[in-house]
Formats: sequence, C-alpha cells, structure tokens
Amino acid sequence: MVIKSFPLIMILILFISAFTMPLVNNNKIIKTISLITNFICSVLSIFTFYYVQLYGNFKYKMGHFDAPWGIEFSIGTLESMMAILFTVVSFFIIWYSLYSIEKDIKESKVCLYYVLINILIASLLGIVFTNDIFNAFVFIEVSTLASCGIIVIKDKKENVKATIKYVVLSSLGSGLVLMGIAFLYSITGNLNMDFMHSELIKNWMNYERIILLSIGLFTIGLGVKGAMFPLHVWLPDAHSSAPTSSSAMLSSVVVKAFVLLFIKIIYRIFGTDIISNIPVLDLILILASIGMIMGSIFAIFQKDLKRVIAYSSVAQMGYVFFGIGLGNELGLAISIFHIIGHAFTKSALFLSVGSMIEKAGKNISDLRGIGKEMPITLALFTLGSLSMVGIPILPGFLSKWNFALASIQSGRLYLLTIILASSLLNGVYYFPIVINGYFGQENLKEKVYMSKEKSIKELIPIIMLMGMMVCAGIFSNYIIKILLIACDQMF
Amino acid sequence: MQNLMNNYIEVGAIVLFGIGFMTLLLNNNMIKKIIGLNIMDTAIFLFFIARGYIYGKDAPIVVGEFKGVDGYINPVPTSLMLTGIVVSVSMTAFMLALTIKLHEKYKTIDLREILNMKEG
Repeated sequence: MVIKSFPLIMILILFISAFTMPLVNNNKIIKTISLITNFICSVLSIFTFYYVQLYGNFKYKMGHFDAPWGIEFSIGTLESMMAILFTVVSFFIIWYSLYSIEKDIKESKVCLYYVLINILIASLLGIVFTNDIFNAFVFIEVSTLASCGIIVIKDKKENVKATIKYVVLSSLGSGLVLMGIAFLYSITGNLNMDFMHSELIKNWMNYERIILLSIGLFTIGLGVKGAMFPLHVWLPDAHSSAPTSSSAMLSSVVVKAFVLLFIKIIYRIFGTDIISNIPVLDLILILASIGMIMGSIFAIFQKDLKRVIAYSSVAQMGYVFFGIGLGNELGLAISIFHIIGHAFTKSALFLSVGSMIEKAGKNISDLRGIGKEMPITLALFTLGSLSMVGIPILPGFLSKWNFALASIQSGRLYLLTIILASSLLNGVYYFPIVINGYFGQENLKEKVYMSKEKSIKELIPIIMLMGMMVCAGIFSNYIIKILLIACDQMF
Repeated sequence: MQNLMNNYIEVGAIVLFGIGFMTLLLNNNMIKKIIGLNIMDTAIFLFFIARGYIYGKDAPIVVGEFKGVDGYINPVPTSLMLTGIVVSVSMTAFMLALTIKLHEKYKTIDLREILNMKEG
C-alpha cells in the first residue's frame, strides 16, 4: 500500500524542498514552496491517521531490510496524531509568517529561514515516527541545530546570547541521551525499540543499576530539551528573543517532540514492569509539580510580554510531565491531549502577542488600552488565555479536569491542590493584560478605535488556530477516547 | 574494584565524560566550552567502540580472505560512531560560528562578563 510510505514521503518532501530553496532567488516563491510542502504534509498525515484508524498500527521498513538490521518507522495512533498536529500547526505559523517575517529578520535571510523551518519540521516528524533509537538521536541533533538557527537568525545581541545558552544546554542534553543509548546498547545489543524491549524484559534483573543510570540519563537529557522545571533556564530567553513565528514554532511544536520521544522511551523500551520498580516517575511528578507552580510564579514578575508567555510554557510543560509522572493510562492520555491543546493555544497566543508587540511595544505597560486599538487581536489573545486558565469547553479546562481525575485514580488527592493553585496563578498573569487592554478610563484615553488593527487576511491564521483549539475542546471526548485506546497498547 | 580494573576503557570513558560535561557546563569561556563538548563526545565514542570490541578479533574490514563471522569485532558501534562524529563536528562548527557572532556583538567571549553587562 502506498499509504504506508506516506510518513517517509512527508519527511523526504520537507528535506528535499528545504535544500532546493537556496536555488530559487525569489523570496515569494520560497515562501510558497514552504507553505505548499507543509500543506501537502498535513494532508498526507491526515490520510495516515485514517489508515491507522482503519487497519491498525504498522511498521515501515527502510530499504526492505528487516527489523534488527534496518531502520524502521513505527506508526500508530499517537504518532499519526502528532504528525497531524505538527504539520497543521506549522502550516498556520508559516502562513502567518508570510506577512510578518520581513519585519523581524533581514530580507536576505528570509530564504535561510524557510530552509531551517522545513528542516526543523522534517526532523521533528522523524523523531515522532522512528522506531530506532540512534536514528532518533540524529534527528534530535538536526532539530537542535535548526531550532537554534531560527532563533539566531534575527541577529540581535540578545538573540546570540539566548542561542548560546540554548545550544550549550541542548548539546549537554544530547550528550546525555547518547550516553544513555550507549548503556542500553551495551546490555541489549539492539537499537530497535521493540527488540530492546524484548531483551530488557528477559534480563533486566541482572542489570538494575545500568537501567537506573540510563533512565536517569534519558530523563535529564530529554528534560533539558523538553523544558522540565529546573532544566528550563534556556527556554524564556530563547522563546522571547526569537522572531514571532519562530517562538510560536518553538514553544508549540519543538519541545513537544522530545516529550513524545521520552514517552516512547519510557513505555516502549522499558515498559511498565521495569518502570514501576524504579522511582523515576515519582521524581518526574515532583519536578513537574514544582514546575507548574514556579513557572507561573516567575511569569507574574516578568515585564516583557513574550517572556510571560514563555514562562507560561514552562508551567504548561509541567502539566505534560505531570501526566507522565502519574503513571496511569488516563494520565498519559491526558498529557498527550494537553500537548495537542497547548500546541494550538500557545502558537495562537504567540502570534497574537507578536502582532500586538509589532504595533505597540514589548512591555506589558505599553499594552494598556490596546483593546480599543486592536480589538480582534486582543479578543483572540483573551480566548487563548481563557483556555490557559481553564474555562470550560476550552481544552485547557478539559486537560486540567482530567488531570484531576487521573490523580484521584492514582490515589494521590493532594495533587489536586497543585492543579488548582497552578490554574489560579495562570489567571493572575493573563487577566491583567486583558483587563488593562479593554477597560479603564485612563487606559482608553486618546486611543482611536481599530487604529492599529491588522488586516483580516493577516489574522486568518490566528483565527484558524484558535478555531482548532476550540474544536479540540469540543471534540475532546472523541480525541481522549482514541488516545486512551492508544495508551492502552503501551501499558 | 576488580570490575573497574577489567573494564578500564569504560571507566576511562566515563571519567572523560565527566570532565567534558563539567567543562561544558561550568567553564565561562566559550572556546573552552566547545573543547568540553568535544571531550564529552569523544568519551561517548570511546565507550561505544569499547563495548563493540572483542578481544583478539580484527577490525571489520576484509583484507585478503574472509575469516568468517567470528573473525571480526562487532561493526555496528563503529559505524554508529561515524554518524556520531559527523553530528559532533556540525555541532562544533555551529558553536564556533556562534562564538564569532558573540565576539562581534559583545567584544568578549567570556559568558560571565556578558551576563554582568547591562542590557542596552
């Protein structure tokens, strides 16, 4: 069946188009290529999802070599869903960047920017699909280089500093991941995830220390890249200094891929039998809970609006790790649902904030009365922040509600207070922006109605992302049901 | 202790890894950070290749006649590390390029000085 090779075709389309872009001299054509390739990929990923729903999971062999020797792609519900998420979100972000990218970076760098974007998405899809752990490592490195590239391309002082911070911590993280792979390879003799799992099940009792060590290495290594709480220090600088569309891409798509790889490593390579004997999930739960609270507290004290949103990402990644740390099916399924909801919400938030910053200024104090000047953009921002705080129907509420259910299911009621506190703290920093934007006599003085609003065609991508976020909320029952079935296979 | 003596290559690799890791994490000079990254990566290569080595067997290259499957060491770690070297080289190149940019913008490559500078 040709549909089985769609995952590979998606990656190849993106890589090949990325490397043909420098041959084209015209920036308009380059933008069109990037947009069209991403659109094709999202269509292909939707087909793959349907195929998986109809015929079940499948493996795709590279070059017809059988599993332990050749590289495999393993495509299941989770992977195809993530592929849809990544390609669709990046499609809308690229659509937005068509109008705004020249305001952030130089004209001559535009070509390079789209090359990097396509490479980044291709490598993230590779991380999602691959069933070979070393292959995943190579894709991790490619995505690190590409995501550093889309930060430093703005070529300002703070961008270089932020990128150095990011690249140093990222290379530490990938060094640790590679060391973890080395330990696992030395006791299993395989790099294919399924074969590693079957070897580990046979003889993990003999190597408990090595397994503990390698899980620790993977947790820290991927924790750095996925912004787990004490290792998040690179994130606020990197995400706030990058161009608007890059920060949307980084916080909505890039960090999620590493979390997904982490889930695959924990549940597909080690499996629940081994994990339940090692206190790593409790450690993740503690760090995630601290992250949920501290990320929000840091966000309250920020003056720069983009830094507020970046710290909010730290808190939201805390939710995702919280779900993994709970260690039951519902928790895992909801943490993936939260990845979906957060990807739509955060990308739309970053894009709307980007357009406000472009017209008004980057500090929160500059945005007083912006609601009269840019009512539609601020309305979109309000919708996103309502989801972050957790208002019913929106995905933020549903994931929090289900996290609460999952923590009751795991018998740890005190975790409810953490979820509640974190939601309230979210309100503390999102609502003042909205309230000062729309209300207050002194804020609205001398502001002209709709004077700074962007044209409707530039707002369409943000509106579409918000619409998808609301859809994710409305159809959450359906999505969570599919995710529960998928997570059931992992346990 | 006996285990450590027997696996002295792996022990050396882990020690090197620690040295590289701490240099990358704690040193303030960008160039020394990059050297630390390289030491760390080399340590991993050493570890991988040491795990693939079998005492008394040849490198997996056929010279003259083929000695059979048992005549050679495990070729997989060696070939993986070729990829690893490529990845590490590109990372180093990227970081060196960033260091040039850093020097252009801040006139120093010492990260502590840069953090102490006022934003302006």
